[in-house]
Parts: sequence; C-alpha cells; structure tokens
Amino acid sequence: MSLNLRPLLSALRRNPTGALLVTLQVSITLAVLVNAAWVVHQRIMRIEQPTGINTRDTFVLQISGSSNQFNAAAAESEDLAYLRGLPGIVSATVSDGVPLTGDGGNTGVWIEPGQQGQVTLTSELGMDQDGLKTLGVRLIAGRNFRADEIQPYVPGKQAPASEAIVTESLAHALFPHGNALGKTIYSSEPRTIIGISRDFMGPQLGQPTERTIIYPRLPGQGGYYDLLVRTQPGKRDALLRLARKHIAAAHRYGVVVDARTFAQNNRRRDSGNRNVAILLALVTALMLAVCCLGIFGLTTFNVGSRTRQIGTHRALGARRRDVVSRFLVENALILTAGAVLGSVLALLIGNWLTLHYAVPRLNMAYLAAGIVTLVAVGELAAWQPARRAARIAPSVATRTV
Amino acid sequence: MLGYYLRLAVKSLRRTPGLTALMVGAIACGIAACIVTLTVHHAMGRNPIWWKNNVLYAVTMDSWDPRRPYDPDRPTVAPSQLTYLDATYLYGSDIPQRKTLLAFVQGALAGAPGQSAPVWAMTRITTAGFFHMFDVPFEYGGPWSAAADQGPQPVIVLSHRENQRLYDGRNSVGRTILWNHLRFRIVGVLAHWDPRPRFYDLTGGGSGDFGGSARAFVPFRWGSMLHLFPIGSMSCWVAPGAPPLQTYRDLLASNCVWITMWVELPTAARRERFLDFVNAYWAQQHAAGRFQRPRNNHLWKVSQWLRLHRIVSNSSRLLLRIAFAFLAVCLINTVGILLAKFLRAAPLAGVRRALGARRGEIFAQHLVEVAVLALSGAILGLLLGIAGLAGVRALYAHSYSAYGKVAHFDLIGIAWALALAGVSTLLAGLYPAWRVGRTSPARYLKSQ
Amino acid sequence: MLRMQDISKIYRTDLIETHALRALSLEVRDGEFVAVSGPSGSGKTTFLNIAGLLETFDSGTYELDGRDVSRLSDDARSRIRNEKIGFIFQSFNLIPDLDIFDNVDVPLRYRRMKSPERRKRIESSLELVGLAARMKHLPAQLSGGQQQRVAIARAIAGDPALILADEPTGNLDSLMARQIMDLLEKINAMGTTVILVTHDPELARRAERNIHIVDGVVLDAPAQTPASQRQTAAHAPRAAE
Repeated sequence: MSLNLRPLLSALRRNPTGALLVTLQVSITLAVLVNAAWVVHQRIMRIEQPTGINTRDTFVLQISGSSNQFNAAAAESEDLAYLRGLPGIVSATVSDGVPLTGDGGNTGVWIEPGQQGQVTLTSELGMDQDGLKTLGVRLIAGRNFRADEIQPYVPGKQAPASEAIVTESLAHALFPHGNALGKTIYSSEPRTIIGISRDFMGPQLGQPTERTIIYPRLPGQGGYYDLLVRTQPGKRDALLRLARKHIAAAHRYGVVVDARTFAQNNRRRDSGNRNVAILLALVTALMLAVCCLGIFGLTTFNVGSRTRQIGTHRALGARRRDVVSRFLVENALILTAGAVLGSVLALLIGNWLTLHYAVPRLNMAYLAAGIVTLVAVGELAAWQPARRAARIAPSVATRTV
Repeated sequence: MLGYYLRLAVKSLRRTPGLTALMVGAIACGIAACIVTLTVHHAMGRNPIWWKNNVLYAVTMDSWDPRRPYDPDRPTVAPSQLTYLDATYLYGSDIPQRKTLLAFVQGALAGAPGQSAPVWAMTRITTAGFFHMFDVPFEYGGPWSAAADQGPQPVIVLSHRENQRLYDGRNSVGRTILWNHLRFRIVGVLAHWDPRPRFYDLTGGGSGDFGGSARAFVPFRWGSMLHLFPIGSMSCWVAPGAPPLQTYRDLLASNCVWITMWVELPTAARRERFLDFVNAYWAQQHAAGRFQRPRNNHLWKVSQWLRLHRIVSNSSRLLLRIAFAFLAVCLINTVGILLAKFLRAAPLAGVRRALGARRGEIFAQHLVEVAVLALSGAILGLLLGIAGLAGVRALYAHSYSAYGKVAHFDLIGIAWALALAGVSTLLAGLYPAWRVGRTSPARYLKSQ
Repeated sequence: MLRMQDISKIYRTDLIETHALRALSLEVRDGEFVAVSGPSGSGKTTFLNIAGLLETFDSGTYELDGRDVSRLSDDARSRIRNEKIGFIFQSFNLIPDLDIFDNVDVPLRYRRMKSPERRKRIESSLELVGLAARMKHLPAQLSGGQQQRVAIARAIAGDPALILADEPTGNLDSLMARQIMDLLEKINAMGTTVILVTHDPELARRAERNIHIVDGVVLDAPAQTPASQRQTAAHAPRAAE
C-alpha cells in the first residue's frame, strides 16, 4: 500500500472548515479528557485512602441532654455499663467527637511551654481506655491509657488530663527528627505522650485528617456525648437497633440524636469526592462520544460527497483496502493535528488547575494515554463510513447522476 | 415567509433523520450538562435576600488570639462569629433599626397530642428581629414580641416541618409544648422557609451552609437562662496560664466565638454611626487589655458575606467549566455537521438563487432550520437537564456536600436553558447559513 | 429586450486566466426566439449566466428590458431574475423534496405573492405544460420529459419577459425533445422572448435567429428571418408587465 500524502492534503483543503472543526473538537476533548481523568484519579485516591478505622463492625449513638438537669456523667457511665454487658459487643467507649463526621473539636499543639513557637493544628478526641480498641486502631509505640488515668466528667471541677496518645502523623509533625514518645507537648495544659497510634481519620474532615490527639477524658461538658461501639462481626445492625431502643428510653432528660454505623459515616464522608468523580467521568465520556459522532459525521459526509471520485479510483484499480486506508489516514491526519493542539491545551489547563485548584501537576502518562485513547476511538469512529466507501462500486464512475 | 421557511426546514431536517437526531442530541446533551451545573452553581452562589442586600449587615470583630490569626490561610479575616461578651454589648445599641443574635442549642420537644417520647429538635436561639429582618414567612401566628426577648418569655416558633410532624400541619398557635421539659407557648409556625444558601448562618463547615435548618426558635436569653451549651460552630482560644473552660459561666466570659450577629441599617449614615459605635467599643476594650490584634471591625453585606465564606465550591466551579467545554464541543460538532449538510445542499440553494432568491432569503431559510434545531435541542436538553438534576440529587442524597441539595429546577433554570440553547445554536448556525447564503447562483446549475 | 455591448469576462485561477468572453456584443429584440450555439468551451454558458444575471462581468455594458443592469447589487439582480427571467436547465434542477406544485411555487414565493394569486398562476402554468394532474407528485416520480415540463412551468409561472434555456433537451430523447421545443415555441408565440443555448443544429434551426459564439465572441450574425424582422417594429411594452 502506498501512501501519497499530497492528494490527501488536497482533499482536506477542499473542506478545510470541516477538518478544522473536527480538529478543534478533538483538541478540546483531549484537553478535558486528560485533565478530568487526572482529577478523577486524585479523587479516587482520596476515596481509597484507608480510614484506619474498623468501619465494618462499628456504630455510634449520639446522646444529648434535653435539659440542664441532665446528668451527663451519670448517664454516660450507665450507658457504658449497659453496652459492655450486652452479648455480642466487643468493646464500647464514650467520646466527645466522632471520627469521619466532622463532629468534634480541634486544637493547636506546641512543643514549647507558653504557646511559644510553631503551632500544629490537630483534631482532638476524648475517650477512655477502650477507645482505640473500639475504633480498631493499634498502638505502634508506648502504651494505652490505664483506667485510673481517665478523667471523669465532673461539672465545674474537671482536672486536666496529663497524658495523651497521638497518631503517627501528628507525632511526626511535632517531632520530625526524634521519638515523640515520652515528650511533653502543650496546648491549654502540658501533657506527656504515652503512646503513638497508627494513623486514622479523626473527627475533623479538613486536611490533614490523620492528625489526632487523644485525651484520657470523658465528655459530658456540653450536655452531650457519643457512644462508640464495636460488635462481633455480623451483629452490628441488630445491636444498633437494640441499643438505640434501650437508651432512648433510659434517660428522662436525654435524647438519642443520631444512631448510625461507621460505614454510613464513611460513605457520607467520601461521597463528595466520589460524586465529583462520577460527574466528571460522565461528562467526559459524553464529550468523547460527541467527538466521535463528529468524526463519524465528517467522514460520512466526505464519503458521500466523493462517491464518484472513489468510484473512479476503484475503476482505475484501487483495492477496497486502499480506499479504507485512504480515509483512515486522512482522519489520522486530523486526529494528529487535534492531538498536538489538544496537548498544548491540556498542559495549559493542567497548569491552571495546579495554580487555582491545588490539583497536582498533570502526569505525562495521562496525556500519552489520552492521546492513544482519542486516536484509537477516533479511528474507530471513521472506520465504519470508510468501509462503506470501500463498498462503492467502480461502475459509479461511469454512471451519470 | 417565515411559515414557508419553517416548512422547508422541517422537510430538510426530515430528509436526514440521522444527522438531525445527532445534532439535536448533541445540542441537548451540551445544554443539559450546562443546565445541571449552572442551576447548582447559580443556586449555591445566589443571594437569597438580594432585595435587602444594602440594609442587612453581619458584624465581625477580631477578638482572636493576639499571637496567631483565626484562619492561618486568611490572616486578615476576623472570626465570623462573636463572643458572648461582645455580642450582648453590641446588641444593646439602638442605632440599628433591627438587630438579632443567632446560635444553636439542643432542644427536646414533648407534649404534643399523641406524642410518646420527646423528639430531638435542633433549636435556634435568636431574637424577634430575626423574623423581621430576614422576611421569614409565617403560616400561622407570627414572631414573638420584643418584650418576650427581654423576659425571656416561654414562647416558641415551630418550623413548618416540625409543626407537620407534631401537629399534622394544623394550626398549633396558642398551644403549649414542652421544650426541654419547660412549658412553652407556640406563638408562630413558619411557612416553608429554607433559603439556600442559608446566608444568615454560614458556620458549621460542610454540613452547615446548606444543611438542616432549625426546627424550633426560642428567645436568645433562654440559652443562658438554662445554661445550654451551643451545639453549632464554636471556636475557642485559651491564653497561656488561663484556666480551662469548664462551666457555662466560663463560656459566657470566655474568648469563645459562637454567636452570629446581624443588624439592619437602612441608611449610610446609620451604618457609619453603628460602625463608630463598634469602633468605640473596640477602643475601650483594647485599652482594657482585650482585642490585642489589629482593629478589624467589619460590617458585611449579604453578598459580601457569601463571598467571604466561599459558598461556591471549587468542585462546582470546575464542573461548570467542564460543562461549558462540553457544550463548546457539542456546538463545534453541530457547526461541522450543519456546514457539511448545508454545503451538500448548496446546489439547491443555487437553484433558488437563480429563481430570484436573495442572499438574505437563503440565509434566513437556513437560519430558520437552525432555529428549529435549536428549539428541539433546547426542549430535549431541558428534559435531560431535569433528569440530570434528579440524578445529581439522588447522587448527593447522603452526602455532607451541599452540591446536590440545591439541585432544584426553577424558572431561572428554564430561562437559562432556552437562552443558552437559542443563542449558542444560532451562533453555531450563523456561519454555515452565511456560507450557504453566499452560494453563487451560477455555480451548481450546470454540473449535477 | 437585451443589449450587450463589449462584454468581457475573465476567469482567473492561481495559474491561468481564461478569457471566456472577449468584447461580446449582441442585441435581442422583444419577442425574439434566438438560438445560441457554439462548440464546447466557446463561452455559451458564460454568456447565458451573464444574460441571466447569474454572474457579473469584467467590462462592457448590459441593458435588459431598457434598463442598464451592468452594475447592480446582488439583491437587485436577484429581484430582476425573479421578475423578468425564467430559467430552464439541462438537468431540470427541480428541488427533489418539494412536490410539483411547490417547485413551481418557488419563484412566486420570493416575489411575496399572495396565496390565491400563486395558486392561480401555478395551476395555469402547469395546465399549459399539461401536468396539472400531477401537482402532488415528487420530481422523482416523473419521467425526464415531464420533469423538464415542470421546469418550464416554473420558468413561466412568474410571467417573465425572457426565458433562458440551457440545453433544455440535452438529457432527453428526441421525442421528448420535440415536445419541449413545441412548448418553447408556444411560449414564444405568446410574446415571451426566448434564448436557447444548444449545440444541436436541428433545434437551432427552429429558432428565428441563430447566433454562434466561438472563443468568446459572436462569430457572425446570420441573416435574420422575416419573422423577426416583422417583429422589430413591435417595441410596445408588454401587456403583462
């Protein structure tokens, strides 16, 4: 098969606007495709980021007092005793925040007294000695809280806790060079790091969400607390229903505000990213489809308006393959032009996204993959009309229309 | 002549049903994508009380830690809420025509007929000014009086939904209900009122701006009367050596910001006077040792307030841009197909020119064809857009993100869709119609 | 009816200039039936396009029905084509997706005629070509001869002063060709000027006058037939105008 580009180019010159329009379409589609795929990749990375928490067998009950006569301290120990006595429960704890939900506090932490020097922002979580076990988070250094270190909630007389467990990320942020274990850190009061846990996503959803400090402290100050519960596998939903029913009736001045599994919380947490990824993928796929239809339309038009010319070529001895490849090469020229223009556009958009939307710099592999995809799909779109062209009978040349 | 062109357009479109379907489909897809993103974007960014934009102001003062800014990313921006001390002092001013304070507390409602257990109802503590300032519509009854704010009197306003839940939507005004175990008299029931975004209170992170709204409203002072800790957004800083916050009294005297304040200042002069008042208070407190950060007292219009809180998410903006790129591709596609189609039919245009059609008439004939396409695309796009919005709502039904919650179709959306489809498709058809209009009458007559 | 003085037309491309007409001069009187012939590439079609105001020319003057039309705007030329000229083409050039009625209707539409008037004219001109019964047919459902008769009906529906026919029988067999010629003569007899471009000497012989164009000039003007001489005096305005 010999490819002579000159007649091809002259064919393009005859309907330059059509070719130009397809080139434009291809370039915009490529630029959006590549960048959208890149953004989707980032979002999926965030979705797939492990929570570090057992989200399979866990649930949370949020209890709130409905009066200042609500004795949160008494209610929370009552509830804990009830939950720990239930068969099928692995462990339960009471906390002042719920990981993965945005419900909880954050604080600044310093490594020098008097709030001097660099401050590190972190989520905070007050729990008892069963907290880490309930969440399914392992300690990697040091020890857990002892029962006698837990500060109960006593209205107006709460003594500050002097111990803390920090996540690996927080430990590293505070002490990049050394072992954080045993060091003293300062927020409102000094605390000693007695343990370092594996990373998990804390209550605050803002980045970096893995930085959390845990205090041996029972909540109740605001008249509300959260019960975190971990069950044996498969018993979560039944126990959630049972516990909710019991506790809703247990307190004269307390109400169950919310009862939810951690799995639900986690879905809600990542749904923003997932949905943006879905919408981006959908629009991009549609765009690719429309672009292909454009290529299909142009090739069909070219075939239609060159019927006689193709017939003449056939009469002069062109084989079907020659006709097909002629149209495919012509289309490939347009696609190449679109790919070149589109690559420039893609890089510009990528730059702009990096500048304004904190999207990491575009990976060149994505650009390459985008070009390959678009050229392949674009050729496929031209293939059907090109084959139709090849079926044009040589006798067309001699027939007067 | 228009009727004639219309007839010709329909004939022409029906001659090539495949191409026509392709073009209408492409336009509709592009339009639908734009409708969905535009509707959501518009709803997120709109000012729900634009008619009072020049009289309502949110009040902020920088009461934060002298050693570091409230928001390290935007060090010049003060906290968007006030401390109890500052809020109650500023509220005492009689310069504003109206004023209000806002916070959330927990609430349990009980005692409605047939109700067995108390239900939890997020309660807004506020003042009567709230209902007047924000033009809150009532289904039954009305706001409580200014005297009720002072007492505070045990009066309560229920949201439309809560009244639906507790009283089956019947007029409950005058009835007594237990709010946190105390007997409150229902003075009003709101009509359905859920402005998006919830401009008057933009705290609460991802869930707050567009999230659940209050189910009940009681006078602001009930919060401190009953020592109810706020359950909305609260940010605190503690000076080194200061005792930690423990009791409710500590909270009221603390640096914690948890109250949103709005004032209504109908004239520029009043606005100046009130700002002077705030500045004077700042200077006095600064001299007494508080407010050690640079003076940053600010009155925000609603529109500025929305911008300040960056209500329109980056994702929304990104999707909007992609939707427009998509529409561009669809339109370029349409231009290409129209051009091919029109040029292929150019010999017929040549015949018409020979028979005496002017360029303008050929142009108009083809433009009418484009207009028919545009209209079909718009209608189909509208339907697809409605379906798309339903899809987005379903997608975001269980999300913290506000994106899906505002995905409701409205008249503005329809207007946008029609305008967008009309203008963009006509623009797309302009060039092909012009090209075919320029057909030389002699060119195609001989060889066919 | 038509007076051309030193008309020149040059087609230019990147590479070559083609002198299609070189100072062509010609006069056709009202009511004449003129045949224009000449070898292929002689400029016949260019002449016809210029005569029909389909193309402009580079120099010279052209007077049509007593009016100088050399330098008119495109719209004005469209108007004259619509009102004064009827075209008949070799390949009929009917609009395939319009039925016969609508095809004849096309020039009347561009004249902004009222509906009853249009209907009257369409029916009477189709009557004249003997196709009144086929009004609702599409062109593809008719034979070539019938299609050409529709084209003639379309050309005369607007009651033009001048019919320009470009090889109107070129795609037809001889029987059909004769019918078409009969029709043209009938139209001419009703007072319409007819200019027929053909390379068929037999058809050309049926015209009152024969003009030969070779290399873009009128080669010679053969002696006019007595019929046309008779009519030269008849310069009175046409009743239909």
